[in-house]
Amino acid sequence: MIAKELQEEVYNCFKCGLCLNSCPVYKQLNVEGASPRGKVQLIKRIQEGKFEATENFKNILFTCLLCETCTVNCPSGVKIDRLFKAMRAEVLKKFKLPLYKQMMFNILSSDRLLPFCMFWGRTIGNPLMSLLPQKGKIGAIAFSKLPRLNAQPLLDQYPETIAAAKARGRVLYFPGCATNYLFENIGHSVIKVLKRLNVEVIIPKDQKCCSLPIFLSGARKMALGNIKKNIDVFNRYDHVDAIIVDCATCGAAFKEEYVHILEEMGEDAEAARKFRDKVMDISQYLAKFDMKKYLQPLKGRVTYHDPCHLLRSQKIKDEPRALLKQIPGLEFIEMAGADVCCGGGGTFQLDHPEISEGITKNKIQSIKDTGADTVASGCPGCRLQINGNLGNEAIKVVHPIELLAKAMGDV
Amino acid sequence: MLKPEIVQKFVEIVGKDRCKTSQEDLLTYSYDASILDEFLPDAVLFPVTTEEVSRIMTLASAHNVFVTPRGSASGLGGEALAKKGGIVLAFTQMNKILEINTENRYAIVEPGIIVSDFQKALEKVNLFYPPDPGSATVATMAGTVMMNAGGMRGIKYGVTRDYLLGMEIVLPSGEVMKTGTITTKDVTGYDLTRLICGSEGTLALATKITVRLLPKPKARRTLLAIYDDIDDAGKTVSKIVEAGIIPATMELMDKVIIKAVEESFHLGLPLDADALLLIDVDGDTETVERQAPLVADFCKGQGARDVRISSSEEENVQLWAARRATFGCCARLRPTCLTEDATVPVSHLVEAIKKIKELCEKNRVQVAVLAHAGDGNLHPLMLCDKRDKDEMARVEKTFDEFVEYAMSVGGTLSGEHGIGINKAKYLPQQLSPTSLRMQRALKNVFDPQGILNPGSFLEACPK
Repeated sequence: MIAKELQEEVYNCFKCGLCLNSCPVYKQLNVEGASPRGKVQLIKRIQEGKFEATENFKNILFTCLLCETCTVNCPSGVKIDRLFKAMRAEVLKKFKLPLYKQMMFNILSSDRLLPFCMFWGRTIGNPLMSLLPQKGKIGAIAFSKLPRLNAQPLLDQYPETIAAAKARGRVLYFPGCATNYLFENIGHSVIKVLKRLNVEVIIPKDQKCCSLPIFLSGARKMALGNIKKNIDVFNRYDHVDAIIVDCATCGAAFKEEYVHILEEMGEDAEAARKFRDKVMDISQYLAKFDMKKYLQPLKGRVTYHDPCHLLRSQKIKDEPRALLKQIPGLEFIEMAGADVCCGGGGTFQLDHPEISEGITKNKIQSIKDTGADTVASGCPGCRLQINGNLGNEAIKVVHPIELLAKAMGDV
Repeated sequence: MLKPEIVQKFVEIVGKDRCKTSQEDLLTYSYDASILDEFLPDAVLFPVTTEEVSRIMTLASAHNVFVTPRGSASGLGGEALAKKGGIVLAFTQMNKILEINTENRYAIVEPGIIVSDFQKALEKVNLFYPPDPGSATVATMAGTVMMNAGGMRGIKYGVTRDYLLGMEIVLPSGEVMKTGTITTKDVTGYDLTRLICGSEGTLALATKITVRLLPKPKARRTLLAIYDDIDDAGKTVSKIVEAGIIPATMELMDKVIIKAVEESFHLGLPLDADALLLIDVDGDTETVERQAPLVADFCKGQGARDVRISSSEEENVQLWAARRATFGCCARLRPTCLTEDATVPVSHLVEAIKKIKELCEKNRVQVAVLAHAGDGNLHPLMLCDKRDKDEMARVEKTFDEFVEYAMSVGGTLSGEHGIGINKAKYLPQQLSPTSLRMQRALKNVFDPQGILNPGSFLEACPK
């Protein structure tokens, strides 16, 4: 059964139902089982032995974005998302992961398979992707909007230490799988900005996938190797000021999830606790620098989308906006419902493309209503989801750091 | 149990996807926001048209199948639960706004739309639908109509009933019928619209709801009055009412609530205060500018040690943050939070607050007092743990005694939450045998077979 402290959570839900209207999935389906309240009540009955976890229950449990909107809005403060995450792990003891997830997670958690697959991916996969039919989709993402793999992983493009003369700071940089293999420009941008600010950057070569997609699907044991390895890596560099991430999801994993998972699995979480306060989203780290003198004007209008893993998991709201607002010439405009989940939810969009697209449609409308030509967001999942559902709209989807780096001109 | 061949007939009406019978689905339709135990339905149907609702009821009456209507199940008394099994008719997917008429200021909506979603749509065209129960972001329009929901704006704007113009209803027999009109004035025949409003889903099913709308008030000011003695706060309320000033809201919070809110949210509330009044005045800009200082003087005259008046909408929102956080902060104190709603004439407010505190102390029940003070609608939040039988018995005893008190001063046992099944035992204290006989006769006219929402307040009431 799930950890004892979480078991008590179900008794704090007094079924007021306030979570219904905060849940993007419930709002699409309008069926109680889709709501946080419904799932909490089912878990309660399973805990009490009144009902067995069935295949149908598993499907209900996974019909959730884990966007955490219910958790932050729950008047009783029930740790809903943590309850669901733990329950997913529990359910997986009885039911298997879908085949595609088994394959995907095996690759992400393997030392050899990941580089191997990425090599063949860019050698054969990239050219083959242009052969895909224009109209097809994978999950909720149009084929034509799928990203191509980096020609070379970011980690292979830089030395382990990028020294700075009279360094103003020293940071460890964790690019994450998305930047390393798919969106190298984000990595170049992070490094460029940090270099310009005279910050020494250390990029440990043996960092692993943060594993959040693996353990949020319930496969905690499969993720354990990567988790422990990353903890070792981070604690090895105890002389850095900060551990920088450019991905909302990786940040949420390091700051929140690692400690919870290890504790709930009965493992020692001390080492995970040691470095968590040093982990900073790039926007957070840059907040202390006055960058005006480095910035040249950009043109256009930009809006910002809050990733769940940044806003709700890490409570980062103002920093990315502040980055964008200080770029001269660039007009910042807030969209309606910037804090609403985009509907991607990692693998959720693969498993539930229709629900996912329904949610994303509203997000796209909010973006269009601003008249912005660019939407910025610090999460690869959100960017993929938004870009994949923009259709023919000529709106660019970027990481805030890319705009900042662009405004810094050539280094 | 429902026979499989009957379930099949329901499937023929709504399709397989909108007829749910899995164990998980039935379990998630077995509860509401009350502390009642679960009632499992045999099937859950999701109609989306009047025709479907009508066909479902025709079939149900032909086979004597029990039908219980349900919105979002945020009710507090089991009104939307299948107390005797049968089917639950969930209206959450029948949720469109059919018309917003700005010329005649009315709107027609389907039953399942969420109140706050409807209100947001109205705001865009500068219109206003005032009823605002605490559950407005969850509750469906039909749910609030069937429960005649109230809320914080009751003192000035009244309750759901005051905005209802008409309905399209489906009778338990399956017949479709219209009540009311779209005009504000209408004295043609019995007022069935207002009879059905507040009937707790026992007479008919609403498939279309027509409500009258108001222009959105141009201005609003929020006042926060701080008191060293809760009695003075209570007195202020009745004095303001007596003086003929009608604020939009007047909410009272006691020191337990102040402490709980301040500890969680750090809003700068005075921890040494005994009570707070949060008052809104709204209307034309000139009226608001004139009324706000007037109300502030009133508060000071009755012993408020400090009164803050907001100067902008942002500040209004900030001051209201304390009130909005109340429920949550108190709910966090203990696993179960029972919100009661016995209501007294506003002149008895001070005494009623004293009474509830006294009863809770005597019965060793933890309580925080909140009140829609302007209309005498008390919300003592009784904090307990449902699993503790002894504690729950003490809570019930407290409530028994408080109801007795409310009756004795001419109050009502429920201001806005309704009777459901957990307050049915008190009905004979308020309704005479003749009144109950008339109510049962009415039910019988609408639902001679007794298939609609069986086990509701009239049946649960001691004979």
